[in-house]
Amino acid sequence: MATRPVEKRVKYKTSVKDSGTPGFLRMREEMFIFIPNDPRSTTKLKVQLQTIKGQKHTKEGSNKPPWLNLSNKQGGSYIFEFENYSDLQVCRDFVGKVLAKGEDTYEKPTITSHDEQLSAAEMELRIKLLRENSELQKLHKQFVISGVLTEAEFWATRKKLLGGESNKRSKQQVGLKSGMVSDIKPSTDGRTNRVTFNLTPEVIFQIFAEKPAVRQAFLNFVPNKMSEKDFWTKYFRAEYLHSTKNAVAAAAEAAEDEELAVFLKPDDILASEARRKIRRVDPTLDMDADLGDDYTHVADHGIFRYEIKEATEELNDLYRRTLSQDLNRHAAVVLEGRAVDIDSEDTRTVAEALARAKQVSRANVEIDGGENQERLDRISRMTEMEDLQAPRDPPLAALCIKDPRDYFDSQQANHAEAYESLKEIISLVKAKGLSNPILKSDVAFKVFNGLTHNISSAKYHLGKNPQESVLDRLPNSTKEELLHHWTSIQELLKHFWSSYPITATHLQIKVGRLKDAMSDIYPQLEALKESVQSELRHHVSLLVRPMQQALEAAFQHYDADLQRRSSKVGERPNGYYV
Amino acid sequence: EDDDDLDGFNAWERTYADERSWESLQEDESGLLRPIDNKAIYHAQYRRRLRTTARIQKGLIRYLYIVIDLSRAAAEMDIRPSRMFVVARHVEAFIREFFDQNPLSQIALVTIKDGVANMLTDLGGSPESHIKALMGKLECSGESSLQNALELVHGYLNQIPSYGHREVLILYSALSTCDPGDIMETIQKCKKSKIRCSVIGLSAEMFICKHLCQETGGLYSVAMDEAHLKELILEHAPPPPAIAEYAIANLIKMGFPQRAAEASISICSCHKEAKVGAGYTCPRCKARVCELPTDCCICGLTLVSSPHLARSYHHLFPIAPFDEVSVSLTNMHNKFPKNCFGCQQSLLATGNKPGPCVSCRTCRQYFCLDCDIYIHESLHNCPGCDSIR
Repeated sequence: MATRPVEKRVKYKTSVKDSGTPGFLRMREEMFIFIPNDPRSTTKLKVQLQTIKGQKHTKEGSNKPPWLNLSNKQGGSYIFEFENYSDLQVCRDFVGKVLAKGEDTYEKPTITSHDEQLSAAEMELRIKLLRENSELQKLHKQFVISGVLTEAEFWATRKKLLGGESNKRSKQQVGLKSGMVSDIKPSTDGRTNRVTFNLTPEVIFQIFAEKPAVRQAFLNFVPNKMSEKDFWTKYFRAEYLHSTKNAVAAAAEAAEDEELAVFLKPDDILASEARRKIRRVDPTLDMDADLGDDYTHVADHGIFRYEIKEATEELNDLYRRTLSQDLNRHAAVVLEGRAVDIDSEDTRTVAEALARAKQVSRANVEIDGGENQERLDRISRMTEMEDLQAPRDPPLAALCIKDPRDYFDSQQANHAEAYESLKEIISLVKAKGLSNPILKSDVAFKVFNGLTHNISSAKYHLGKNPQESVLDRLPNSTKEELLHHWTSIQELLKHFWSSYPITATHLQIKVGRLKDAMSDIYPQLEALKESVQSELRHHVSLLVRPMQQALEAAFQHYDADLQRRSSKVGERPNGYYV
Repeated sequence: EDDDDLDGFNAWERTYADERSWESLQEDESGLLRPIDNKAIYHAQYRRRLRTTARIQKGLIRYLYIVIDLSRAAAEMDIRPSRMFVVARHVEAFIREFFDQNPLSQIALVTIKDGVANMLTDLGGSPESHIKALMGKLECSGESSLQNALELVHGYLNQIPSYGHREVLILYSALSTCDPGDIMETIQKCKKSKIRCSVIGLSAEMFICKHLCQETGGLYSVAMDEAHLKELILEHAPPPPAIAEYAIANLIKMGFPQRAAEASISICSCHKEAKVGAGYTCPRCKARVCELPTDCCICGLTLVSSPHLARSYHHLFPIAPFDEVSVSLTNMHNKFPKNCFGCQQSLLATGNKPGPCVSCRTCRQYFCLDCDIYIHESLHNCPGCDSIR
């Protein structure tokens, strides 16, 4: 494409603060020249456009003057101040076009439509993809730069490459493992008296989520009263004591160490939450009846023994924790959902984030009172015994097959004719019987010969080697051109067919543009056929024919659709004919 | 506390006490063991599989997601070599059977590992690509998460057109699920999106799986052993009946491409290679595709061939079950045919007594048990009825 040299009045600035030397900027295909108005000035410029890496400019809507900043590969930059934004635009487009021709560099696509909001990361990804895949770049240049397709349309079919899908879809979160409840077993060294617990950020998160008292204690104690390491040491000491199920020892240690007592006694915060929840418990849940079943809480598993309960045991009850309590708490936390994402490793931020989330959820729960309908539903579901109910299979859809003749144009006249002729033939066969043999042997022979010759000649011409592809026998340049035409035709056709049925004006415009582009390619295919040597011409024409057929099918469809729409429009009742 | 009465026996003990399987072994004249006749068992199984012949709609264009649990529990070796390998083997057989019976449908594979669900293959209609991907990556670790799997599948299934039937088949080995949130909400979401979830459990019955299947209208079954597992998986191959509120009647455009001429060469759209003959041309945009059924890459038209449609069509018109013939002496004299009409093998069992056989209500021909199974499950045409006209 011939690019006329662009010439504009500008001021050249070496830096932003520089007032600028007035002069002329002349841009040609390979370079640009700046000539200052003042012949005595020494700031002349003659720069090869190959050295230019990219360009930046000030926005039209902002209050800044129209500046164009061309940065070169060595890191320097040339700033030109134009008289108005339209001049700037022209120069910008010129530089853009020239830069696009270069192979290693690709500037930011400055043709962004107004409705496309692209993040910087997506832009980067697109540029990277274009740089790595030369085929894609060629296609992009051919269609987007020349205006046949917009950026959005070009990338819309390549969502997979952009990886947009996976970014948009939220990353899956891993749930809290219930193994934590019972399985956190320390590793013990048989020889020494040491017990080692492993602590990971995941575990910390889970502890804070399930035990609000511990979280509160962390926020209170660390870093004022003790370091984080001490805090966790105390916590795990408490866990160890619990696991030994020695309530007496637990009580003793709690009496000595105030902070340890926090971990050993039941969770205050949980208790107050539970009290609130008990008021809204499902009436179908008969807690009294369950109490009788739950004999793990009672000493000696409910076996009635004649023994006086000691006073100290009452105290020790406080330090008893059961597995079912832990499991229930874990389940409640899981069902609430994982509202907080642990991004930071810092324990304190995690604790604070969880505390805030808790406050928010508590406030929400208090506001939200309309749970009655839900409760009534649950009651009705719980009262029936599942095993005694009839199978609740959903009703199945009955098959109704419409008479297929409704869908086809009825050709009653042809029906009768066809029926008559068929009847005639059948009665003929019935009378005479089928001749034996059914076909005349020499006719069959001729047909078979013809077919075999056709197939074998095709195979012969294509070479005995099945691995060798037809394309390889063509000279490289022809092959490249053929493939290039093929990819561009595929791209155009994809967009063409996806635009039908035409429901909006922009689709119509798009289809028009696509059709023009396709009409351009069609004669190029013809030219390709003629440019090849005569012995290869047959192959090339065989390869080109399906492409031309595809284009012709598209043209046909376009014309038919246009005709149909114009005839519909032409039938306007108010008398206007288009 | 083992009692000696039969009442105290467990089920597995009863098979030895009651059924005395060693007694069914027989020797022939030369003292070699005769193969055990399993025909009656297969026939009984097949009759259980026969569904009603009421005319109901069936999902012929199915979009099925198979979710395979590759958590720690899949490494259990209660079925040899391990649950994971056995499941993979059966899923391979299922995929082939599925595409045989549902040529218009598509499958995708999802795995659950380490508490997250991953997409193994995209929705596609070619069995080889799925099987290759599945067999390539068989390792298990971590927890299993039902909610993550359902969320992933829900996200993808929401995008398919309304005439397709959305189904999920979950092969679950674990006994628990480690979820990031409330799974009941996810189940309600799936129910609203009309996704039919079925589960096949490998360890024990779980409430949450049962609840999921009940809510979405799917099937929940737990496999007892490897043979049972195979049977359960293959049960999902024929199209399921369409649920009344999910079924929408639509007209779908499909193309019936012609086979390209032998001598023609063109560059095919799927592989970007020049291929000689042996392809199909899309009737709308004239692009070349290599195999059917598929969606044309250029214009998006569904391309099928008439045998594909025929294979789907016969699911809607199943053959009426044949009647079992009661063996009584009177029957033996009244025109009891010596040979099965289908395979011409003898219908008489040892000692010239009439063996078990069935007869078609319409054409009144007699068939042996093997032919009965074959006609109803593979052939879908009664030879007797077809030869009357």
